[in-house]
Amino acid sequence: MIWEPLKLSFLVVTVSTVIIAALGLAVGLLLAKGRFHGQELLASFFTLPLVLPPTVSGYYLIVLLGRHGLIGGPIYNLTGWSVAFTWQAAVIAAVVLALPLMVLSARAAIESVNPQFEIASYTLGKSWLATFFFVTLPLARRGILAGIVLSFTRALGEFGATFMLAGNIPGKTQTMPLAIYEAVISGEDKRAQVLALILTGVSVVAVYLTSKLTKGAIRY
Amino acid sequence: MLDVVFDAAEGITILFGQSGSGKTTTLRAIAGIITPDSGRISVADEVYFDSTNSANLSIQKRRVGYVFQDYALFPHMTAEQNVAYGIKENGAHGASRLERAREMLAAFKIDHVRHRFPQNMSGGEQQRTALARALASNPAIVLLDEPLSAVDAETRALLLDEVVQAQERVKVPFIYVTHNTTEAIRLGAQVVVLHHGNVKRAGPPSDVFNSLGTERS
Repeated sequence: MIWEPLKLSFLVVTVSTVIIAALGLAVGLLLAKGRFHGQELLASFFTLPLVLPPTVSGYYLIVLLGRHGLIGGPIYNLTGWSVAFTWQAAVIAAVVLALPLMVLSARAAIESVNPQFEIASYTLGKSWLATFFFVTLPLARRGILAGIVLSFTRALGEFGATFMLAGNIPGKTQTMPLAIYEAVISGEDKRAQVLALILTGVSVVAVYLTSKLTKGAIRY
Repeated sequence: MLDVVFDAAEGITILFGQSGSGKTTTLRAIAGIITPDSGRISVADEVYFDSTNSANLSIQKRRVGYVFQDYALFPHMTAEQNVAYGIKENGAHGASRLERAREMLAAFKIDHVRHRFPQNMSGGEQQRTALARALASNPAIVLLDEPLSAVDAETRALLLDEVVQAQERVKVPFIYVTHNTTEAIRLGAQVVVLHHGNVKRAGPPSDVFNSLGTERS
């Protein structure tokens, strides 16, 4: 059946996109507006999963969160539970691997807003937070939306790190990209074809949306 | 480096000088956008900045209406939303913030643009909206940074009258930055001439410009 991986991918991607949008916006804002030591180091850290092989990111996630991991170990010893090989692990892998796209887009979008508008808002008595929500965010919305769409697509296609941390358990951690891999090696051509077409369709729509969002963008 | 001392009386004070003379820097210091190294800024008996006792009021707490050189109208808001943005609460008789914004726009005779975005307004309409927005938050002082540099000569003449009328309506000091002699003479009850960050001369326009003229010849 193709429904199991479809349902699982939908769950994993929905949860990860929500986390990525919130976290990526916060980090992007920090990097765009903050002036602190190690700022570019932090930026590099958040960009790293974009250039590392996904299996390397997955390896670090196991080192951190696996049953014997730096964080996962103590948790397992205390509770007998480990995040590894659960659907939540697939979410973690998707978030880590797709977050860079959101951070980069959000930072660029926020930096492209002319600070004059923010200063105007301050002179009108508005706080930093109110200015962010009523001025900066609406003016940066296209770039931010594009970042959400891009990272959604990246999360949907996540394979390597998911395989490493969550495994390939049908009905539990087998998302669509993993199901395609399994269908191919077990000779289920039809199943691979249908899943591949669905992923291609979603990605084409996403890329189209992204280019529409960024192309027509007015730079304020 | 900037060393500027002057008193803005009731009415319109002109900060006059070439570019680089420190006019805009002075306005930005009054508004709290930048922090001076030393000195004292007070408006209507309220101290905004005093380096002797490290007083430094935040931008938000300074009751300043600022008209920026390029207006800085929020491009994602209509004229009335722009004006309503800085209005703190609903006014008397239950008038909503938007209703008050409309009254402000009507006072500048541009209530017909209230649903328009800045990019669909003429230079003069944008300028009036910016002025209405600056006045809507009940400022104790209004700062105008070369507000007429982007409009044509005909509109400029009209707007000069409206700036005077606006000042007479709200009765708070206006500080108006310009390097245009005609604007200075037309508007100014007091002219402060800045040169390389220092006050070179201050007084009524006739005195100031006459003496500048004598100096040049």
